[in-house]
Amino acid sequence: MKKLILLFAFTILIVAPFLGQIPIVPSKLLDNSSMDYKIFFELRLPRMLLAFFVGGVLALGGLIFQTVFRNPMSTPFTLGVASGATLFTAMAIVLGFSSMSSLFAFVGAMGTVMVLFMVASRFKSYDTSSLLLVGIALSFFYSASLMVMFYLSNLQESYEIMRFTMGSLDIVGFENIYLLAVTAFLLLALIHHYRYELKLLLTSYEFAYLKGVNVKKINYILLFGVSVAVGVAVSLTGPIGFVGLIIPHILKTIYAQSADRLIFPIFFYGGVFLVLCDLIARNLGTTTDVPIGVVTSFLGAPFFIYLLINKKQ
Amino acid sequence: MLNITNFNNNILKNITFNIPSNKNLIILGSNGVGKTTLAKILCGLTPSNSVTINNINPSKFFGEQRAKLINYIPPKLEIFDEFITVREFLALSSLTPHITIDEALDRLQTTHLQHKACQTLSSGESQLLLIASSWLHGATYTIFDEPTANLDPQKMQLLFALFKDENFLQSKIIITHNLDLAYKLGFDILFLEKNTIKYHGSSEAFFEQAYLDTIYKKSVQKISNNIVVKL
Repeated sequence: MKKLILLFAFTILIVAPFLGQIPIVPSKLLDNSSMDYKIFFELRLPRMLLAFFVGGVLALGGLIFQTVFRNPMSTPFTLGVASGATLFTAMAIVLGFSSMSSLFAFVGAMGTVMVLFMVASRFKSYDTSSLLLVGIALSFFYSASLMVMFYLSNLQESYEIMRFTMGSLDIVGFENIYLLAVTAFLLLALIHHYRYELKLLLTSYEFAYLKGVNVKKINYILLFGVSVAVGVAVSLTGPIGFVGLIIPHILKTIYAQSADRLIFPIFFYGGVFLVLCDLIARNLGTTTDVPIGVVTSFLGAPFFIYLLINKKQ
Repeated sequence: MLNITNFNNNILKNITFNIPSNKNLIILGSNGVGKTTLAKILCGLTPSNSVTINNINPSKFFGEQRAKLINYIPPKLEIFDEFITVREFLALSSLTPHITIDEALDRLQTTHLQHKACQTLSSGESQLLLIASSWLHGATYTIFDEPTANLDPQKMQLLFALFKDENFLQSKIIITHNLDLAYKLGFDILFLEKNTIKYHGSSEAFFEQAYLDTIYKKSVQKISNNIVVKL
């Protein structure tokens, strides 16, 4: 089963950049002046890498948030990180800084994390459920603020904001991919470094504490690392929901192993899942690509429910 | 030496006592009197400035040095991840180099459970697993919070033998409602009543029938060297 899925994953990764509205002929890739070469290396490959790294970061982010908050519904999106990014992008569009929307998105994501940490430091003891509630409250506040932005914007701006909130993998060239890849690898390295602590957190806070772990510090380091990476990802693609929620659950069900041993598989399959969703979005025969967020949810939700039902039986 | 000096909070009042590192202690007291609260304060899970263990405040230190000072074994195994196995769980407690996981599994008669997921264990099996983990952890002080609550009679005998074994952990602090166990172990007794220490002293004096009658209002009786609850 695992080998079959791995084979399927690699097939998707190899085939994905060749398929699309204009199919690429492999032999033409040798000629660097051909249109196929340009499409492949300037559009398809960067797009696939973007999908892969964003998917990986979001899936890993979901795993860490679920572990730290001990709540299977937690993802970076639950704490308002993505909503912060969306709101700030909307502000950039309305204020006439559309060209700097990525920077605004990143500031929104990181600003949210800062607010969360400031609020958390006011709590007497470390309390994840209160922090989660603060995140949810922030999300509502951002949603209301986003409504204000819609209200203030004209038709063109409203459309731009709407498209951003749907998520998009449109990208040209490799410039942003390098930044994202470095962030993703740093996140992987960070989580791998703390895997022993992560495993202790997967038992209970008390147990981790009694083994000498500074639970509060480790949780903050992990949350901060994930939030930076998700901030970078969301600034490039907009909020793409569901990946962070379902991929860790699906992988745990398939592998039947504790989450600390699934760090790399969750990253890898998170990436492959988004590449697959993008492949579908680009090949539905519509005049423009279907927003990626739509495909992740349409594909992920039924499969996720199927897995849950199977597990219960 | 474990010291708690003049501790007060909304549950416990004027708590002062010490336990030398070669001594064991049994903590008794009715439900809700603050036994678990006291345990969590002693091991630093609830931060306080009143506790020191070998001159270290456990709530202010981290790392293996602190872990080796004191450990707390809760009455129930709490585990978030559904796939962590018994063996993996024990590996996380393996802070004592000269005891292997296999030895710990063998001693607690849990070898057959080693590849099972912790979440699928029965409450009695979980309790044995927790006790195995305490041995591998090997702290100077280990607090057991109602360790016998879910054990069958044979496992109870196994645990009794372990607690009696001087080489099984250095200093054992046992919270229990099982008076017969407390009596047979013969460790010093700390009795909590009305949020404070009512008795701290030898087992012999505590288990005098006359004293038992005043403390338990004639609900327990010593019959041919057993402490029995009158039903």
